[in-house]
Amino acid sequence: MSNANSQPEPKSTQRFSLDSWAVMIALAAAILVRAGIIHRIPW
Amino acid sequence: MADSIALPQNPPLTISTRFLRLIPGVALLAAIGFLGKLLEKNINLYAKSHHWTIPNIEYVLWAILIGLAISNIFGLAEIFKPGVATYEFWLKAGIVLLGSRFLLGDVWKLGGVSLLLVFIEIAGSLAFMTFLGRLFGLRPKLTTLLAVGSAVCGVSAIIATKGAIEADDEDSSFAIAAILALGALSLFTFPLIGHALHLSDHAYGAWAGLAVDNTAEATAAGALFSDSAAKLAVLVKTTRNALIGFVVLAYAIYWASRGQAQAVTNKAAFLWQKFPKFVLGFLLVSVLATVGFFTKDQNTNLANLSRWAFLLTFAGVGLRTNFREMRQQGLRPFLVGFIGEIAIATFTLALVIGADKLFHL
Repeated sequence: MSNANSQPEPKSTQRFSLDSWAVMIALAAAILVRAGIIHRIPW
Repeated sequence: MADSIALPQNPPLTISTRFLRLIPGVALLAAIGFLGKLLEKNINLYAKSHHWTIPNIEYVLWAILIGLAISNIFGLAEIFKPGVATYEFWLKAGIVLLGSRFLLGDVWKLGGVSLLLVFIEIAGSLAFMTFLGRLFGLRPKLTTLLAVGSAVCGVSAIIATKGAIEADDEDSSFAIAAILALGALSLFTFPLIGHALHLSDHAYGAWAGLAVDNTAEATAAGALFSDSAAKLAVLVKTTRNALIGFVVLAYAIYWASRGQAQAVTNKAAFLWQKFPKFVLGFLLVSVLATVGFFTKDQNTNLANLSRWAFLLTFAGVGLRTNFREMRQQGLRPFLVGFIGEIAIATFTLALVIGADKLFHL
Protein backbone atom coordinates (compact mmCIF):
# COMPACT_ATOMS: atom_id res chain seq x y z
CA MET A 1 0.00 0.00 0.00
CA SER A 2 2.15 2.78 1.24
CA ASN A 3 5.85 2.71 0.73
CA ALA A 4 6.34 3.92 4.28
CA ASN A 5 6.06 0.34 5.50
CA SER A 6 8.46 -1.06 2.95
CA GLN A 7 11.25 1.34 3.86
CA PRO A 8 14.06 -0.51 5.58
CA GLU A 9 14.36 0.54 9.21
CA PRO A 10 17.45 2.71 9.61
CA LYS A 11 19.96 0.95 11.84
CA SER A 12 20.36 2.67 15.16
CA THR A 13 23.80 4.24 15.39
CA GLN A 14 23.54 4.47 19.17
CA ARG A 15 25.25 1.47 20.71
CA PHE A 16 24.51 2.50 24.31
CA SER A 17 21.40 3.87 25.95
CA LEU A 18 21.31 7.22 27.75
CA ASP A 19 21.37 5.27 31.02
CA SER A 20 24.50 3.38 30.07
CA TRP A 21 26.26 6.57 28.98
CA ALA A 22 25.36 8.28 32.25
CA VAL A 23 26.75 5.33 34.23
CA MET A 24 29.96 5.17 32.18
CA ILE A 25 30.65 8.91 32.41
CA ALA A 26 29.88 9.01 36.14
CA LEU A 27 32.17 6.01 36.79
CA ALA A 28 34.91 7.57 34.66
CA ALA A 29 34.61 10.76 36.75
CA ALA A 30 34.77 8.68 39.96
CA ILE A 31 37.95 6.98 38.71
CA LEU A 32 39.53 10.36 37.85
CA VAL A 33 38.74 11.57 41.37
CA ARG A 34 40.11 8.33 42.87
CA ALA A 35 43.30 8.55 40.79
CA GLY A 36 43.86 12.09 42.04
CA ILE A 37 43.61 13.58 38.54
CA ILE A 38 40.67 15.67 39.76
CA HIS A 39 41.84 17.02 43.11
CA ARG A 40 39.08 19.27 44.28
CA ILE A 41 35.52 19.90 43.18
CA PRO A 42 34.19 22.99 44.95
CA TRP A 43 30.53 23.62 45.63
CA MET B 1 1.14 7.11 -6.51
CA ALA B 2 2.70 6.45 -3.19
CA ASP B 3 5.97 5.49 -4.84
CA SER B 4 6.34 8.97 -6.25
CA ILE B 5 6.42 10.54 -2.79
CA ALA B 6 10.01 11.29 -1.95
CA LEU B 7 10.81 10.90 1.70
CA PRO B 8 13.20 13.50 3.10
CA GLN B 9 16.60 11.91 3.53
CA ASN B 10 18.53 13.40 6.41
CA PRO B 11 22.18 12.44 6.29
CA PRO B 12 23.24 10.75 9.56
CA LEU B 13 24.99 13.15 11.91
CA THR B 14 28.60 12.43 12.82
CA ILE B 15 29.53 12.08 16.48
CA SER B 16 31.35 15.43 16.48
CA THR B 17 28.33 17.22 14.91
CA ARG B 18 26.02 15.64 17.48
CA PHE B 19 28.36 16.70 20.26
CA LEU B 20 28.61 20.27 18.94
CA ARG B 21 24.82 20.54 18.78
CA LEU B 22 24.66 19.86 22.53
CA ILE B 23 26.96 22.70 23.55
CA PRO B 24 24.54 25.71 23.44
CA GLY B 25 21.85 23.91 25.46
CA VAL B 26 24.28 22.49 28.03
CA ALA B 27 25.85 25.96 28.37
CA LEU B 28 22.36 27.36 28.97
CA LEU B 29 21.68 24.72 31.66
CA ALA B 30 24.99 25.56 33.34
CA ALA B 31 24.37 29.32 33.13
CA ILE B 32 20.89 29.03 34.65
CA GLY B 33 22.09 26.69 37.39
CA PHE B 34 25.01 28.95 38.26
CA LEU B 35 22.77 32.02 38.22
CA GLY B 36 20.46 30.20 40.67
CA LYS B 37 23.42 29.60 42.98
CA LEU B 38 24.54 33.23 42.70
CA LEU B 39 21.04 34.51 43.43
CA GLU B 40 20.68 32.36 46.55
CA LYS B 41 24.04 33.50 47.90
CA ASN B 42 23.78 37.19 47.04
CA ILE B 43 20.17 37.71 48.10
CA ASN B 44 21.00 36.20 51.48
CA LEU B 45 24.10 38.38 51.83
CA TYR B 46 22.15 41.50 50.80
CA ALA B 47 19.34 40.72 53.25
CA LYS B 48 21.86 40.10 56.05
CA SER B 49 23.69 43.35 55.42
CA HIS B 50 20.37 45.24 55.58
CA HIS B 51 19.21 43.28 58.66
CA TRP B 52 16.21 41.93 56.78
CA THR B 53 14.60 38.63 57.61
CA ILE B 54 13.56 36.91 54.41
CA PRO B 55 12.95 33.22 53.72
CA ASN B 56 15.92 31.47 52.14
CA ILE B 57 15.08 30.63 48.54
CA GLU B 58 17.32 27.75 47.54
CA TYR B 59 19.29 27.64 44.29
CA VAL B 60 17.09 24.69 43.28
CA LEU B 61 14.00 26.88 43.16
CA TRP B 62 15.84 29.75 41.46
CA ALA B 63 17.13 27.42 38.73
CA ILE B 64 13.65 26.01 38.15
CA LEU B 65 11.98 29.43 38.17
CA ILE B 66 14.50 30.96 35.74
CA GLY B 67 14.06 27.95 33.44
CA LEU B 68 10.26 28.23 33.67
CA ALA B 69 10.39 31.95 32.89
CA ILE B 70 12.59 31.46 29.82
CA SER B 71 10.51 28.57 28.50
CA ASN B 72 7.10 30.19 29.09
CA ILE B 73 7.83 33.86 28.33
CA PHE B 74 10.35 33.72 25.50
CA GLY B 75 10.16 30.07 24.42
CA LEU B 76 13.19 27.87 23.94
CA ALA B 77 15.11 28.58 20.71
CA GLU B 78 15.76 25.55 18.50
CA ILE B 79 19.53 25.81 18.93
CA PHE B 80 19.26 25.07 22.66
CA LYS B 81 16.87 22.10 22.47
CA PRO B 82 19.36 19.21 21.93
CA GLY B 83 21.54 20.35 24.83
CA VAL B 84 18.61 21.05 27.17
CA ALA B 85 17.35 17.51 26.49
CA THR B 86 20.52 16.22 28.19
CA TYR B 87 19.09 17.17 31.59
CA GLU B 88 18.08 13.54 32.07
CA PHE B 89 21.63 12.41 31.39
CA TRP B 90 22.91 14.75 34.14
CA LEU B 91 20.22 13.46 36.48
CA LYS B 92 21.28 9.86 36.01
CA ALA B 93 25.01 10.63 36.24
CA GLY B 94 24.24 12.62 39.41
CA ILE B 95 22.37 9.69 40.95
CA VAL B 96 25.28 7.31 40.21
CA LEU B 97 27.72 9.72 41.90
CA LEU B 98 25.33 10.20 44.82
CA GLY B 99 26.01 6.54 45.62
CA SER B 100 29.22 7.79 47.28
CA ARG B 101 27.10 9.35 50.02
CA PHE B 102 25.37 6.08 50.87
CA LEU B 103 27.06 3.29 52.74
CA LEU B 104 25.70 -0.06 51.71
CA GLY B 105 24.22 -0.60 55.18
CA ASP B 106 22.08 2.54 54.73
CA VAL B 107 21.01 1.41 51.28
CA TRP B 108 20.13 -1.99 52.71
CA LYS B 109 18.16 -0.60 55.65
CA LEU B 110 16.45 2.33 53.92
CA GLY B 111 16.17 0.45 50.63
CA GLY B 112 14.44 -2.45 52.40
CA VAL B 113 11.85 -0.18 54.01
CA SER B 114 11.57 1.76 50.74
CA LEU B 115 10.93 -1.42 48.81
CA LEU B 116 8.02 -2.31 51.09
CA LEU B 117 6.56 1.20 50.80
CA VAL B 118 7.15 1.22 47.04
CA PHE B 119 5.29 -2.09 46.59
CA ILE B 120 2.29 -0.71 48.46
CA GLU B 121 2.46 2.62 46.57
CA ILE B 122 2.70 0.97 43.15
CA ALA B 123 -0.16 -1.46 43.79
CA GLY B 124 -2.39 1.27 45.25
CA SER B 125 -1.58 3.81 42.52
CA LEU B 126 -2.10 1.40 39.63
CA ALA B 127 -5.46 0.27 41.02
CA PHE B 128 -6.70 3.78 41.79
CA MET B 129 -5.60 5.36 38.50
CA THR B 130 -7.17 2.51 36.53
CA PHE B 131 -10.42 3.03 38.43
CA LEU B 132 -10.33 6.79 37.80
CA GLY B 133 -9.54 6.35 34.09
CA ARG B 134 -12.56 4.09 33.70
CA LEU B 135 -14.75 6.43 35.72
CA PHE B 136 -13.84 9.36 33.46
CA GLY B 137 -14.17 7.27 30.29
CA LEU B 138 -10.55 7.68 29.16
CA ARG B 139 -9.28 5.39 26.41
CA PRO B 140 -7.97 2.14 28.03
CA LYS B 141 -4.38 2.52 26.81
CA LEU B 142 -4.29 6.16 27.94
CA THR B 143 -5.49 4.95 31.35
CA THR B 144 -2.67 2.37 31.39
CA LEU B 145 -0.09 5.05 30.53
CA LEU B 146 -1.37 7.41 33.22
CA ALA B 147 -1.46 4.59 35.78
CA VAL B 148 2.12 3.51 35.02
CA GLY B 149 3.35 7.11 34.89
CA SER B 150 1.95 7.96 38.30
CA ALA B 151 2.76 4.62 39.94
CA VAL B 152 6.34 4.05 38.78
CA CYS B 153 8.50 6.74 37.26
CA GLY B 154 6.74 9.37 35.25
CA VAL B 155 7.79 10.07 31.69
CA SER B 156 10.36 7.23 31.41
CA ALA B 157 7.73 4.71 32.47
CA ILE B 158 5.22 6.13 30.00
CA ILE B 159 7.73 5.94 27.14
CA ALA B 160 8.75 2.39 28.10
CA THR B 161 5.12 1.28 28.35
CA LYS B 162 4.08 3.04 25.14
CA GLY B 163 6.44 0.84 23.11
CA ALA B 164 5.50 -2.34 24.96
CA ILE B 165 1.70 -1.99 24.69
CA GLU B 166 1.75 -0.25 21.30
CA ALA B 167 -0.16 2.80 22.50
CA ASP B 168 -0.51 5.63 19.99
CA ASP B 169 1.43 8.89 20.07
CA GLU B 170 -1.61 10.95 21.05
CA ASP B 171 -2.22 8.88 24.19
CA SER B 172 1.38 9.09 25.27
CA SER B 173 1.48 12.88 24.66
CA PHE B 174 -1.65 13.27 26.84
CA ALA B 175 -0.17 11.16 29.62
CA ILE B 176 3.26 12.84 29.47
CA ALA B 177 1.71 16.34 29.55
CA ALA B 178 -0.45 15.44 32.56
CA ILE B 179 2.46 13.90 34.47
CA LEU B 180 4.78 16.84 33.70
CA ALA B 181 2.19 19.44 34.72
CA LEU B 182 1.56 17.64 37.99
CA GLY B 183 5.29 17.24 38.58
CA ALA B 184 5.74 21.01 38.22
CA LEU B 185 2.90 21.57 40.67
CA SER B 186 4.42 19.20 43.22
CA LEU B 187 7.65 21.23 43.27
CA PHE B 188 5.79 24.14 44.80
CA THR B 189 3.31 22.29 47.00
CA PHE B 190 5.35 19.43 48.54
CA PRO B 191 7.93 21.53 50.43
CA LEU B 192 5.16 23.79 51.78
CA ILE B 193 3.14 20.82 53.03
CA GLY B 194 6.27 19.15 54.43
CA HIS B 195 7.17 22.24 56.45
CA ALA B 196 3.56 22.82 57.54
CA LEU B 197 3.38 19.25 58.89
CA HIS B 198 6.88 19.52 60.47
CA LEU B 199 7.99 16.35 58.72
CA SER B 200 11.51 15.11 59.47
CA ASP B 201 14.05 15.20 56.62
CA HIS B 202 13.81 11.45 56.19
CA ALA B 203 10.01 11.27 56.31
CA TYR B 204 9.71 14.13 53.82
CA GLY B 205 12.37 12.61 51.53
CA ALA B 206 10.60 9.25 51.55
CA TRP B 207 7.29 10.97 50.78
CA ALA B 208 8.75 12.97 47.85
CA GLY B 209 10.40 9.81 46.49
CA LEU B 210 7.16 7.87 46.72
CA ALA B 211 4.64 10.44 45.52
CA VAL B 212 6.42 12.62 42.93
CA ASP B 213 6.44 10.84 39.59
CA ASN B 214 9.45 12.06 37.63
CA THR B 215 12.90 11.36 39.05
CA ALA B 216 14.08 14.91 38.26
CA GLU B 217 11.09 16.48 40.05
CA ALA B 218 11.36 14.05 42.99
CA THR B 219 15.03 14.99 43.42
CA ALA B 220 14.21 18.70 43.14
CA ALA B 221 11.25 18.42 45.55
CA GLY B 222 13.57 16.71 48.05
CA ALA B 223 16.35 19.30 47.57
CA LEU B 224 13.85 22.12 48.11
CA PHE B 225 13.30 20.76 51.63
CA SER B 226 16.88 19.85 52.61
CA ASP B 227 19.99 18.08 51.39
CA SER B 228 19.27 15.08 53.54
CA ALA B 229 15.67 14.90 52.28
CA ALA B 230 16.98 14.97 48.70
CA LYS B 231 19.24 12.00 49.45
CA LEU B 232 16.35 9.89 50.70
CA ALA B 233 14.02 11.06 47.94
CA VAL B 234 16.57 9.83 45.38
CA LEU B 235 16.95 6.48 47.14
CA VAL B 236 13.21 5.83 47.35
CA LYS B 237 12.64 7.05 43.79
CA THR B 238 15.47 4.84 42.55
CA THR B 239 13.82 1.86 44.25
CA ARG B 240 10.61 2.75 42.42
CA ASN B 241 12.49 3.07 39.13
CA ALA B 242 14.07 -0.35 39.63
CA LEU B 243 10.64 -1.95 39.42
CA ILE B 244 9.72 -0.37 36.08
CA GLY B 245 10.55 -3.51 34.09
CA PHE B 246 8.16 -5.71 36.07
CA VAL B 247 5.24 -3.29 35.77
CA VAL B 248 5.78 -2.71 32.04
CA LEU B 249 6.14 -6.47 31.49
CA ALA B 250 2.85 -7.13 33.31
CA TYR B 251 1.03 -4.57 31.14
CA ALA B 252 2.69 -5.86 27.95
CA ILE B 253 1.47 -9.40 28.75
CA TYR B 254 -2.02 -8.08 29.59
CA TRP B 255 -2.39 -6.14 26.31
CA ALA B 256 -0.85 -8.99 24.29
CA SER B 257 -3.41 -11.40 25.82
CA ARG B 258 -6.11 -9.10 24.45
CA GLY B 259 -4.49 -9.18 21.02
CA GLN B 260 -3.61 -5.49 21.16
CA ALA B 261 0.17 -5.74 21.56
CA GLN B 262 2.97 -8.06 20.52
CA ALA B 263 3.59 -11.06 22.78
CA VAL B 264 6.75 -10.93 24.89
CA THR B 265 8.87 -13.94 23.93
CA ASN B 266 11.95 -13.50 26.13
CA LYS B 267 10.88 -12.11 29.50
CA ALA B 268 14.40 -11.94 30.97
CA ALA B 269 15.70 -9.94 27.98
CA PHE B 270 12.64 -7.68 28.22
CA LEU B 271 13.29 -7.01 31.93
CA TRP B 272 16.98 -6.25 31.30
CA GLN B 273 16.11 -3.93 28.41
CA LYS B 274 13.69 -1.92 30.57
CA PHE B 275 15.81 -1.98 33.73
CA PRO B 276 17.28 1.46 34.53
CA LYS B 277 21.03 0.84 34.40
CA PHE B 278 21.85 3.88 36.54
CA VAL B 279 20.46 1.95 39.54
CA LEU B 280 23.34 -0.52 39.09
CA GLY B 281 25.82 2.36 38.77
CA PHE B 282 24.44 3.89 41.99
CA LEU B 283 24.83 0.56 43.83
CA LEU B 284 28.37 0.05 42.48
CA VAL B 285 29.54 3.49 43.69
CA SER B 286 27.84 2.84 47.03
CA VAL B 287 29.73 -0.49 47.36
CA LEU B 288 33.02 1.26 46.48
CA ALA B 289 32.34 3.97 49.09
CA THR B 290 31.49 1.28 51.68
CA VAL B 291 34.71 -0.70 51.17
CA GLY B 292 36.78 2.49 51.51
CA PHE B 293 37.80 2.76 47.85
CA PHE B 294 37.49 6.55 48.13
CA THR B 295 39.03 8.74 50.83
CA LYS B 296 36.83 11.14 52.80
CA ASP B 297 37.91 14.06 50.59
CA GLN B 298 37.28 12.07 47.45
CA ASN B 299 33.79 11.20 48.70
CA THR B 300 33.14 14.91 49.26
CA ASN B 301 34.38 15.65 45.73
CA LEU B 302 32.05 13.01 44.25
CA ALA B 303 29.12 14.35 46.26
CA ASN B 304 29.88 17.87 44.95
CA LEU B 305 30.12 16.56 41.41
CA SER B 306 26.71 14.95 41.90
CA ARG B 307 25.34 18.33 43.07
CA TRP B 308 26.64 20.04 39.92
CA ALA B 309 24.99 17.38 37.80
CA PHE B 310 21.70 17.91 39.67
CA LEU B 311 22.03 21.66 39.21
CA LEU B 312 21.95 21.19 35.42
CA THR B 313 18.97 18.86 35.87
CA PHE B 314 16.98 21.43 37.86
CA ALA B 315 17.58 24.08 35.19
CA GLY B 316 16.36 21.54 32.61
CA VAL B 317 13.20 20.81 34.63
CA GLY B 318 12.22 24.48 34.37
CA LEU B 319 13.20 24.81 30.72
CA ARG B 320 11.28 21.80 29.46
CA THR B 321 8.05 22.78 31.30
CA ASN B 322 5.87 24.74 28.91
CA PHE B 323 2.39 25.35 30.29
CA ARG B 324 1.00 26.53 26.93
CA GLU B 325 1.89 23.24 25.26
CA MET B 326 0.44 21.29 28.17
CA ARG B 327 -2.85 23.18 28.03
CA GLN B 328 -3.28 22.17 24.40
CA GLN B 329 -3.40 18.49 25.42
CA GLY B 330 -6.90 18.76 26.85
CA LEU B 331 -8.38 18.81 30.32
CA ARG B 332 -9.65 15.29 31.01
CA PRO B 333 -6.33 13.39 31.29
CA PHE B 334 -5.03 16.26 33.41
CA LEU B 335 -8.09 16.08 35.66
CA VAL B 336 -7.72 12.32 36.11
CA GLY B 337 -4.03 12.79 36.84
CA PHE B 338 -4.74 15.64 39.25
CA ILE B 339 -7.33 13.73 41.28
CA GLY B 340 -5.17 10.62 41.22
CA GLU B 341 -2.04 12.48 42.32
CA ILE B 342 -3.83 14.13 45.25
CA ALA B 343 -5.10 10.73 46.37
CA ILE B 344 -1.65 9.13 45.91
CA ALA B 345 0.09 12.01 47.74
CA THR B 346 -2.34 11.71 50.67
CA PHE B 347 -2.10 7.93 50.76
CA THR B 348 1.73 7.91 50.61
CA LEU B 349 1.94 10.66 53.24
CA ALA B 350 -0.05 8.48 55.64
CA LEU B 351 2.14 5.51 54.65
CA VAL B 352 5.36 7.41 55.34
CA ILE B 353 4.16 8.81 58.69
CA GLY B 354 3.20 5.26 59.71
CA ALA B 355 6.56 3.84 58.51
CA ASP B 356 8.45 6.63 60.30
CA LYS B 357 6.79 5.63 63.56
CA LEU B 358 7.43 1.91 62.98
CA PHE B 359 10.91 1.86 61.43
CA HIS B 360 12.28 5.30 62.44
CA LEU B 361 13.20 6.35 58.91
